[in-house]
Parts: sequence; structure tokens; C-alpha cells
Amino acid sequence: MQSADHGPGFPAYRMTASFDRFRWMGSALAGLVFVFLLAPYAALIFATDWHDFHLSEGDVDAIRTSLLYSTLALVISVLAGTPLAWWLAREHGRGKWVFDALLMLPLLTPPLAIGILLSSFYGPYSPVGSLFSHVGVYLTNTPPAFVLAQIYAGMPYFIIAARAAFEGVPRELEQISRTLGRNRFQTFWRVTLPLARIGLSAGVALSWVRVMGEFGIVLIVAYFPEGIPVKLWVNLEDIGLSAVYPLLWVFFLVAVPLPLWIGLRARRQTQAMF
Amino acid sequence: MNQSAPALHIRCQMQQPIVVDISLQVRGFTVLLGVSGAGKSSLLKAIAGLLPAQVSPYGDSAVEQRPIGYLPQGYALFPHLRAWENVAFPLPRSAHRHTDALALLQRVGLEDLANRFPSELSGGQKQRVALARALARKPQLLLLDEPTSALDMATRDEVLDELVREVCEFGIPVLAVSHDPHLAMLADHMAILRDGRIVQEGDPGEVFARPRDVAAARLLGFRNFLSGQIAGSEHNSRLQVAGSGWQMQAGWQPGLSLGTSVQLAVRAEDIYLQETGATHCCPNPLSVQVKACRKEGLSMRLYLEGPTLLEMLLPRQQAEDAQIAVGDFLKVCVQPRHVQIIR
Repeated sequence: MQSADHGPGFPAYRMTASFDRFRWMGSALAGLVFVFLLAPYAALIFATDWHDFHLSEGDVDAIRTSLLYSTLALVISVLAGTPLAWWLAREHGRGKWVFDALLMLPLLTPPLAIGILLSSFYGPYSPVGSLFSHVGVYLTNTPPAFVLAQIYAGMPYFIIAARAAFEGVPRELEQISRTLGRNRFQTFWRVTLPLARIGLSAGVALSWVRVMGEFGIVLIVAYFPEGIPVKLWVNLEDIGLSAVYPLLWVFFLVAVPLPLWIGLRARRQTQAMF
Repeated sequence: MNQSAPALHIRCQMQQPIVVDISLQVRGFTVLLGVSGAGKSSLLKAIAGLLPAQVSPYGDSAVEQRPIGYLPQGYALFPHLRAWENVAFPLPRSAHRHTDALALLQRVGLEDLANRFPSELSGGQKQRVALARALARKPQLLLLDEPTSALDMATRDEVLDELVREVCEFGIPVLAVSHDPHLAMLADHMAILRDGRIVQEGDPGEVFARPRDVAAARLLGFRNFLSGQIAGSEHNSRLQVAGSGWQMQAGWQPGLSLGTSVQLAVRAEDIYLQETGATHCCPNPLSVQVKACRKEGLSMRLYLEGPTLLEMLLPRQQAEDAQIAVGDFLKVCVQPRHVQIIR
């Protein structure tokens, strides 16, 4: 091994060697974490009985319920959450920190607890619940209750991601748009939204995953109609593990492509823009 | 000055974020000079309607209705739109929107780069795309915020010349704010902003020749200031000014009686060496000693100590010939017409 006395090339050699060693260790560590995260999914491959792969009774209905109502919940979350996220990103008035802190509450509350809170607030014996029931909307064990539960599961995540996305849009570009003759709405549509789209896409993907996979809130508020997460639980209780895996595979098949597609698309667009 | 240049009188009173109260004639290419933090950018934003202020004209209109083109520092091109889409942004949706945008790009010489994204353009190219975009609305006033700040030194002068030529071609009054006196030299009209007010306004030739006070003179590039008193006059053509241990002749100015305290301002580049063995006279001779010297590109900046501290900028050829070193004694001269009297 060369020492410091052996010529001017030594420092560069030493730096390269230590850098290589560090890079090797970093790669190994990253690989370990990767294996740790994905190992249970390998178990799923081995545990599935591929010779007798079939869905159980009611699984198709659960898939349909999850897809339909999750899409609805996602659309409502995005439409209602976007203005709030924009307001949070753009307003810097006194006391805004209170809103920021309160927004964290749904994220910090355990899903089961949110379910109980929703039952107390929207349940048939609460003032709000009875108000809804007067117009024929019942918010316990009904499709509206299911969608409501999913909105509470997904919307806070969308708002947090969307707010960060809007904050990332330089205000100067919005101002320039105004000086170029575009009003606030046109500016939002043509400048803010396209520039925030990568962050918004991440918010949609995150919200979709939360909405599709929500179990705790749905379990309390809308056990019926059964979506995929509740049906997984029912299959496990009534039939056993063998009935869980096929539905789980279907869940991955329907829930994962959207965030995956959004993530890859966002990555490509980011590279193209910068 | 270009007498036929389009003109507009602007008044602006603003309280926040900085107090500004100005009344300014924008004539052709007008440069408002001010130090950093003087409120130049805020003033432009207020005129454009992006900051609350009382502005005349157009002050009653919403931002999007003001016929004003605004180019901020860094140009603020939309990164998600191609060059032609940026230019087409203010244009109404129509069949010839694309063609119109390309025509504007052609006017600034960038039609070949129409399909590039801003990240694929140089600083000068971005500036021209932003200019074409600002002009697409056919504004009646164009505002430029520090147009030289994002340009590299290699292409700065070239891009500036083109910019001035292009905005002049469009025939609308332009107000550029800057701290760069070189930009003001290219202007049809200029003003100096200090403490939220216009302290001097006029033709660049006049303003550069007669800065109103020391602060204005500093902003205009003067580096040497000497305090003295009027000691005499010569046939209404020159004034004699004396300080402690020095005496200088300056250009005539009316209304200065004997004994009046004045400041003299001299540019570093207007001080020159008396050639060795030269027989012609050396106006305003000063004997000085070199205390320090610094290479400044191809020139040499000398810090001199004599009757007062002085700075001089020696051209490359003279610096090479003279072989000046720290500690050398020199005799330097200044033409009386280059000595400005500031009251």
C-alpha cells in the first residue's frame, strides 16, 4: 500500500479507495433494507396456492365496491382538498399555524379512533346524523358512509401533499401570469396546477392507496358494503388464510398500478422540465 | 437624446414594503438607477399592480388589465411551456396563435428555438423570449427589473445592445431599474432613486457629467471625492478649488462664490500618468505614492496617497509600460473638464 511519502498521486488514491469502500457499504445497506421491506411479499408468492387459485364468494362484489367508492372518495377528496391546500400554501396570515396544526390531527389519530369519532358525529343518534337522515342519507353501514369513511382516510394525505406542491410553485410565476392578462382562475389553471402537478400526482397516489386500503375507519362506520380490506378480514375469520391470498393479489393488481404509473410519469416529467 | 421617443409620465406612491414617492418621465429607454434595497423592484411591482400603491396611469385597473409588460429579474419563464408557448401565453386562443407567437420570436431572432424549454436556453435567450412574451400583449409601457443581472460578462454588452435595440423597435416607453451605470449610459433618459425619491433626472450625458450629490456620484461610478473651497475663477471658464495641501481646476459652474464649500468628484479612469519626459503640461498635477495596486481584468487599479487618497484605473498598455510597483512615487494629472463640482 502506498503511503503519503510515495508521490503526489497518493491523496487522490486514498480518497478514491475510501469513497469506493463507502459506496460499497452504502449499496449493501440499501440492498438489506430493500430485502427487509419486500421479504413478506416473497412469502405471499410462496404461500399462495397457485394450483387452486380462486376468489371466494363475495370477493368480486368487494372488489367492485372498493373500486367504485374509492374512485368517488378520491375525486371528492381532490376536488374539496385542492382549494384548502392552495389556501394553506398561499395564505400567511396571523393564526394560520392553528390550521396547520389542526390539519395534522386526522393524520395523528389512529384510524379506529377516527371511526369511532365519525360514528359519534354522523351516527343516527347524533344531531348531524339525524339531520342527514331527514333527507334520506344514512351515514352508518351504507355506501355514503363507506365513501365518507374513505374520504376521512385519504383527504388529509392529499391536502398535505398538495399544499407542499403548491408551496413549491414560485409565486413570481403566478404574478407574471397576472401581468400577462390572466386572471386568478386562469393563472391557477394554466400555471399553478401544471407546475404543481408532480406533487399533486403524488398526493393523488398517496390518497388512493390510503382510500383503497383503509380498514380501521371503514370497520366502524361502514362494515357494509364490504370493500376489499373488510372482506380480507372476513375471509380470514370465516375461511382461513387460503381465502385471503387470492383477494390480496387482486388488491395489489387494482390498487398499485395507479400510484406506480403516476410516480413514473412524474419522474419523467421532472427530468424533462429541469 | 431621442426626442421622438415615446414618453409617459408615471407617478407612484407606495407605503409597503418600502416607502416610495416618485414622479418620473419615462422617455424611450429610461433607466432608474438605485442601490440595492432602494426599492427599485418594489416600485416596478407597484406600477405593474402586484403591490398596493397609488399609481398613475393605470392605477385603477386590476393587474391583468393594465397594459404593462413586466420582465422580472431572472425573466420568470414558465418552465413547463416551450419558448413559443411562453410567448403565446398572453395571446387569446385562436387559429393563428402559434403563428403570432413565432412571428414575435422571429422579431427577437429566436424562431429557431421555438420548441425549446426554458431550461434549454441561455440567459440572453431567456431574456429575449421573456421580452417577446411581454410584448405579445402590445403593452403601452414595458418594465425591466435589473435586465443585466442574469447575464454573463462575456455576452452582457452584446445582449444589452440587442435588448435596447429591440425595445426601441417596438416603439413603447421602457422603464428599466438597475444599479448598473453601464446600462444607464445606453438610455435615452435616466433618473436616480434614493430614499424612495427621485434625486436627479435627465439626459444621461448631463446626469453623468453633473451628479447632484456624492451618493449620486458614487452610483454613477465616481470613486474620488475631495472636500475643498472655491479659491478663485478664471474668466468664467474655470474654477479654482483648494483643499488641505492641494489645488485643482474644475469646469465653470455659475453661482459659486469665493469660499463656498464644495466636493470634487473625479472618476478613477479620468486620472492619468504624466508621461516621463513629456513636455506638454499636466493639468491639475498631483504628486502621489502608490500604496496598493490590484489587477482588474486587463487594467490596473492603483490606490494612491498624496494630498488626499485617490484611486486611478490605469489602462493595460500604460500599466505594462510604466511597470508600477507599490511604494513608487508618481505624478498624475486630471483634465479640469473631468473634475465635477458637487455643491
